[in-house]
Amino acid sequence: MAKYILKRIVISLATLLVLITAVFFLVRLMPGDPFASEKMPPDVKANLEAYYGLDKPLIVQYFTYMGQLLKGNMGYSMVYSNKTVNDIIAATFPYSADLGIRALTFAVCFGISLGIVAALRRGKPLDYGCILIAIVGTSVPDFIMGSLLQYFFGVQMKLLPVAQYTTWKHTILPSIAVGFYSLASISRYMRTSMLEVISQDYIKTAKSKGISNFRITWKHQIRNAIMPVVTMMGPLVASVLTGTFVIEAMFVVPGMGKYYVESISTYDYTIVLGITVFYGAFLVICNTVVDILYGFIDPRIKIAK
Amino acid sequence: MLKRLLALALAGALALSMVACGTPAAPAPEGGESEGPKTTFKYSELSEVPTLDPQLANSVPSNTAILHIQEPLVRMYNGVLEPGAAESWEISEDGLTYTFHLRDMTWSDGQPVTAGDFEYGIKRLVDPNTASPYGWFACYIKNGSPCNSGELPLEELGVKAIDDKTLEITLEYVADYFLQVVSNACYVATRQDLVEQYGQDFAATAEKNAYTGPFVVKEVKTGDRLILAKNPNYWNADQTKLEEVEIIVVANANTAVDMYNAGDLDYVQVPSDLKDLYADQISEFFDGSNDFLRVKQDDPNVPTHNKDLRLAINYAINRAEFITLTSNDVYAANPRYVLPQVAGVNKTYGEEYPYEAYPVNGDADKAKEHLDAALAALGCAASDITIELLTTDTESSKKQAEVLQQQIQSVLGINITIKQVPYKDRLKMESERDFELVFTGWAPDYSDPYTYLELQIADAYYNYGGYNLDFDGNVIENEFDKYMEFAATTSDKQARMDALFAAEKQMLEDGAVVPLLLRRVLYMKNENLEGLALYFLGARIDFTRAYWAE
Repeated sequence: MAKYILKRIVISLATLLVLITAVFFLVRLMPGDPFASEKMPPDVKANLEAYYGLDKPLIVQYFTYMGQLLKGNMGYSMVYSNKTVNDIIAATFPYSADLGIRALTFAVCFGISLGIVAALRRGKPLDYGCILIAIVGTSVPDFIMGSLLQYFFGVQMKLLPVAQYTTWKHTILPSIAVGFYSLASISRYMRTSMLEVISQDYIKTAKSKGISNFRITWKHQIRNAIMPVVTMMGPLVASVLTGTFVIEAMFVVPGMGKYYVESISTYDYTIVLGITVFYGAFLVICNTVVDILYGFIDPRIKIAK
Repeated sequence: MLKRLLALALAGALALSMVACGTPAAPAPEGGESEGPKTTFKYSELSEVPTLDPQLANSVPSNTAILHIQEPLVRMYNGVLEPGAAESWEISEDGLTYTFHLRDMTWSDGQPVTAGDFEYGIKRLVDPNTASPYGWFACYIKNGSPCNSGELPLEELGVKAIDDKTLEITLEYVADYFLQVVSNACYVATRQDLVEQYGQDFAATAEKNAYTGPFVVKEVKTGDRLILAKNPNYWNADQTKLEEVEIIVVANANTAVDMYNAGDLDYVQVPSDLKDLYADQISEFFDGSNDFLRVKQDDPNVPTHNKDLRLAINYAINRAEFITLTSNDVYAANPRYVLPQVAGVNKTYGEEYPYEAYPVNGDADKAKEHLDAALAALGCAASDITIELLTTDTESSKKQAEVLQQQIQSVLGINITIKQVPYKDRLKMESERDFELVFTGWAPDYSDPYTYLELQIADAYYNYGGYNLDFDGNVIENEFDKYMEFAATTSDKQARMDALFAAEKQMLEDGAVVPLLLRRVLYMKNENLEGLALYFLGARIDFTRAYWAE
């Protein structure tokens, strides 16, 4: 097991190194430059380029950046000139993560339940209801879902606040808007995999041994069916927790998503890189954790190693 | 058993997280509204205030916020200049030396404000090591440009604190508008001790700066909001009626309108597509942005080097129809180049010199006359001419470009192709003079026609179109430059303004640009909020004197 974990970690670090290097050079290939502005005489631009070290050869900049990154220093933003990428992530990630945890909790609880119910009531009206929710959830984009929620519950019925992220009431609508897509895909995965498991021999064996239906579903069916859902949780956690630009903008959540999207159009190299590295590291960690969790949930993996 | 307990614990934790997972921000107390008049003001900006460091500021949100927390030498309120940190000032006979006399006032931490603080602030703006994006804004000061590029040491800059209360600024050339220049955020007093203590973190948070303006920074919440509070140490604190102001970042314009309707905002900008929905509540103001096409004129391979072709394009465009189709009539058609709202001698420039260079509804006959002349000179047919229109890659830019393309093609029969690139790329291509026609704009730095006209001086850096340049990039002797030269040297205000108008007329008769539109901002504000000043310069939204009517 220790060897397996170690191997996973080494692979993760290598992935990160490739990612950082690729993004560093790709960002510089974008046409245009961060200091282009309506009013930017050449002397002023030269001062700025010298200040941010952009006048040095690209390879020198790369090693400088990597050196600083090893110290955990991701540099100052080129737009928010007094803020470091570390400051920005520290201030905004908690909001994105908070929203993400709420959205995930909502998605996992309801997604898994819906999937189970649909599978157990296969072909019945309840199943069709669950399928309908899954189809709506996967096909309606989040910005439409968000606007509809905001319009009906916020503007029309005035049940919940329209926007901002201060009290728990404020968190309900954005959490649903972010979580709905995940809910739908989790429930679909769960339903399919429940139906696969139900035809397995060990379920028949359990039945013939006279174990109660509840016990079979709870102990044998769900536990085995949940595997594919755990697999998709890794990337899902990373993407939901690191912020969703559209919903954050719509509900005025001061999260990280905005910086990521904005920095690309403003050519804020340090933020593009910093957030990519952060997101990448987060994704790699989530995937590694899922791989390790696998070992605990499914004993066969341990044997295979 | 253990497993079941674990499962239970996990389920419990999940359920708890749903309810109890502490929201990062504590709920804002709703106090202060039940008793007495309201003293808070909340409004939204589409993007975050990028910096509160006066010398690094280069955006409207930054300029607006800084002018509320720092006191400039001269303060502009609704277009009128008033004494700020300077009680009085003298301008020398030749118009080149400005002497400011500072009033007794203190920083928010109790230290006295000195002329040295202003000298430091201006020198910091120019210092190449500061790398201020607005460093060029000191070009009016003696040696401003060479000091900014590092050719001359900072000691050579024409700024000097004579004593603690007297600041002397020497200019490079006569600039009647210089008092407006010093009313900008980048010219405010700055504390050397704090800059040296905090380095690049200076002004990053409330504690890392000191304040001289009507408000102080209470809290900077990254990505969320900026909270200002009344400054009791401000020299004119009696005038400030608001106790607290929140500038909330709302990236989605429609959400901002919803928040306004829910009472979460007291002032909001309204997107143009909601104009009809809120028609009875909306007001508007010109924000100073002036959009036009730059035209390439110094390249033999681009047919617009022909003056008649440029005029044909100008007459072919129906600006009134263009505005209706692209902005729902929110913007105003502009038949001239200079923003008419800038100051003239006694009234606005537009009132003193009314002018319509090209009819707002276009003039197809005149366009064709000029086209025929152009085709004769170029020796080709209309269908042989193809011109590329460069613009930004947004939906609204696309629509604007397509309407222009359709109008020009249908009247003239020439071909217009559209090239869309990202905003920053467009700016770069424009400054590298790599375009044929480009959709661009200019916002004024001071209220004077010169701020627009100086872009077109033949050897100016901003003359991207190459007006009055020959194919080798040499300056052609011309009338426009002579008018501008005269305006920059005369001390007769009326003669100067006449010359500037003559220059504007000259360049439009030469078809140097294709003027299009003036931008207007639609907004709604709470009807009980009084004293808010909205203007096209400086702090676009000025709440220094705003108050709630009871």
